[in-house]
This record gives sequence, structure tokens and C-alpha cells, in this order.
Amino acid sequence: MTVGRASRAQLVLVLAVLAILHFYVRPRLWDARVSPDFLMVALMVYAMRSRPGDAAIAGFVIGLIADALSPARFGAGALACTLVAYAASWGRAVFFADNLLVNAGMIAAGVWLRNLIVVVASGTSQAAFIAELGIYGPLQALITAVAGVLILLAFREWFAIRLDV
Amino acid sequence: MLRASDRTFSRRDTVSFLVCLGLSVVGLFLPSGWGASVAATLRDSALTPFVWLQARAEEGRTSRARFRAVTAERDSAAFAAQFLPAIAAENRQLRSLLGLRAHLQTPYVPAEVLHQSSPTDARMLLVRIAGPVAPFEPVVSPDGLVGVVSSAGHDQASVMTWAHPEFRVSAYSADGRVFGMVAPSSGSSGTDAGLEFRSTSYRDTLASGTQILSSGLGGVYPKGIPLGEVLGIAREQAGWERVYRLRPAANPSAVTHVLILRPPQAASVTAAFPGDSMLAALRADSARRQRLADSLLRVRIADSVLRAHLRDSTPAAGPVRQPPPAAPRAAPVTRPAPVDSAR
Repeated sequence: MTVGRASRAQLVLVLAVLAILHFYVRPRLWDARVSPDFLMVALMVYAMRSRPGDAAIAGFVIGLIADALSPARFGAGALACTLVAYAASWGRAVFFADNLLVNAGMIAAGVWLRNLIVVVASGTSQAAFIAELGIYGPLQALITAVAGVLILLAFREWFAIRLDV
Repeated sequence: MLRASDRTFSRRDTVSFLVCLGLSVVGLFLPSGWGASVAATLRDSALTPFVWLQARAEEGRTSRARFRAVTAERDSAAFAAQFLPAIAAENRQLRSLLGLRAHLQTPYVPAEVLHQSSPTDARMLLVRIAGPVAPFEPVVSPDGLVGVVSSAGHDQASVMTWAHPEFRVSAYSADGRVFGMVAPSSGSSGTDAGLEFRSTSYRDTLASGTQILSSGLGGVYPKGIPLGEVLGIAREQAGWERVYRLRPAANPSAVTHVLILRPPQAASVTAAFPGDSMLAALRADSARRQRLADSLLRVRIADSVLRAHLRDSTPAAGPVRQPPPAAPRAAPVTRPAPVDSAR
């Protein structure tokens, strides 16, 4: 389902809300490592409703923002978000993108995969790799998925989300 | 079979993806300095509103701005607000920072940490600064060393924390016996990372709990910043060196406010290393002083000659050779008349 002209404005509005949530609400929550990543929610919501090329560009931009704000290894975030967004856009052809649980699962998988690629591309030890994939990654993925579900529920009319899970 | 328009879109998608992927890989393999400058440029331009927004959110979370208004208007509400865990923790940190600032001899710039949701947040921190800073300036919290400024913009900077794999600091034990190098442990991760005290001499052994401080060697970190305390021996390398595990003094993931230490204004040491021009100036100065001393000597000589001449000329005026002892020096000149009348 490619977003139409009418729904594109709604999508832009939701993405703007998510950006504000990310930069204004997320810092007020708990530890940054496990707080919801609203930019990833925005990216996944956009990627699952647009063409793979557009999703890749959006992923690159979001990753570049992440790299600029936390430049542990410049380019790692861009690479990770590009791959995740492109894969999510292709994944909507396989899954039902209007299902709430599918959306939640895609968001969780996207966050976890993004963290995995960032950690690998940044270069880290085996212990850190295991801790990231086993503890922090799943926690952040789960919390981000819950936040994504709440967002999708709030705007379910615009995204045509099916609730009969 | 794909229609022509679908094929076009598909080709466009693939091209977009490959371009983004290529740019990401290029960014990944750029020299770190270039990457940091690109990131700083982005933060100073396109991301400025977002960084500003997050700074306001951090202020809201830690209630600093709200606390300023509340202290002026609602003392009771402020009292109640201090029992909130986040505000209590922030108050503790700020009080500690105030205590640290009172003891600091070197100039510093306070900064506020803007934590990100990235898994590498504990390695590189984004801080909002209250004054100009420069790369390679140490960043400290009341607990100890947090890291070093990696790159700096006009109102924000990125800080390489001790959890970064490239972080190193020269250190010594608090008892002054063992010197070495502190680095993140090889099994370090973001929030639960540890430090190692490496390159220490094999003949000395440090007990658990010994505090490790920065030694000041290298010129980046001042001497005496707490780095951590010894937990035990991590490994020994062929009877040559001992590597100790350290419990870090400061936790980059939990810190909200830091101080960036600025280099002290160095006094001029030019006089200690005189060049040709300085030597000439010193010689000129010494010659002037010599001339002054000579002229003073000449004046004194002339004065004494004059007095001797006056003394010698006095007997010709009268027969009295011994003037009264209490009389002033000019008396022989002004008293010839009574002598004559006595005659």
C-alpha cells in the first residue's frame, strides 16, 4: 500500500509528532538505553507504508541524525537504519502491514536489528555484543514496540490498523 | 511479469538503496576526524532545533529551570519536589558539583549531558556547554574522570568517555608506588563497562580498594583526578606486567552534569629562555643601569672635590685654623670678623 496524497499529510504529521516525542518526551523518561526510540517508530511506520527506495532514503537520514548525536562511529547508524528500513519496506509485501501485532513485531525486530548492526559496525568486544543483544537490545525493542503500538492505536484511523488480532 | 512503470520504480528503489548504502559505508570508513566534523556540522546546522528541544527536555526532567522559578515563588512546593527521586538525584549531583567547583583551581566550563537512545551512548556523550571548550579537554564529574572532549561546537560538544575503546589515561596508585596506563577493559560494554590498570610493574602489588588517580603525564589530564579503585588482578603477562581490574569512579550513563576543565592561563616564561633580542635588551638595560651608577659616582666625586676645595680655601680668610666644634660647616666662611676684632 503506497501512501496516497491525502494520507501523506497525515503521515508527515504523525512523523513530526514522533520527532517531538523523541527529542522532548524521551529524555524525561527513564534510562536512555532502554527508553523508547520514537525515531525508529517513525522510520518503521514510514518504511512499512512506502516504497523500498524511499524507505532506504528515510533510513539513511534517520541514521545520519543518530550518528550526529552520538558519534561513536560515524556511519554505523546510517548503515543500520538504511538496511532496516529497506528490509521493513520489503517485509510489508510478506506480512500484513495493517495488523497491529505485525506492526509491533516489525518495530521490535527493527530496533533490535538496528542495535545489532550498530554494535557490530562500531566494533566491540564479545561480552558487550552479548549484553547488547541479550539485555539492552531486547528491552529497548520491547519498550519501543509498546510505544509504537500506542502511537498506532492513537492514529489507527489514519493508518487503517486492523484491531482483530 | 512486471509492468514498465513497476520496473522503473523497482530500479529506482534499488538505486536509492545502493546509493544510501554506499554513502553509509563511505561514512563508516571515513577518517574519524572527518566523521566528527560532519557530525558537528550537522549538529550546528540542521539538528540545532532538535538539540535545543532535547536540552529543554533535559532541563524539564531535571527540573533545573522549574526549580529556579519554584524557589522564587513556591518554597513549599520546592520542598515537596525534592523528595522526587529524579530531582533528589539531580540535587545530589549539583551539590557535589558545587563542592567540586569550590575546590577547583583550574578554569572550567559547566555542561549538561544529553543522553541518546543509541547503544553507543555510554561511549560518546553529547553535552550542551555553557562556554567555549576545545578538543582534548578533560571532562569530570564529582565522582571522577568521565572522559575527554572529542569535538566541540559553539554550544555543544561530543565527549569520548572512558568506555570508548580508544580511551587511555596515564595513572598512578594513590600511594604513589605504581604507575601505569588506564584503559577500558577488553570485555567492556556500555553501562557495565570496567577499566583496566595496565603496564604496571610486576614487582609491586596493589591491594583491592587502592585508589587510582590520573598522573598528569602527557599533559591532557591534570594530576589527581580519581579514575577508579582496584578490584583485583585481571591477568599477568608472562611475569612481566600485571593488569588490574578497576571499578570506575564515574558512570557516564548516569551522569547528568559535568565540568569541562580548561587549561590554566599560562604566565609568560619568555624571560627564562632569552633569545638574541632578549639578551640585547638585558644588556641594554644593564648598560643603562651602569651609566646611571657611573653618573651618580661622578656626582659624588664632584661633590667631595668641591667640599675639599671649600675646606682647603677656608684658612686663607683668617688666622683661626680650628673652628668651634659645634659650628656648622659654613662657619669658617661666615665668622672671620670676630677673629679680626679679637686681634
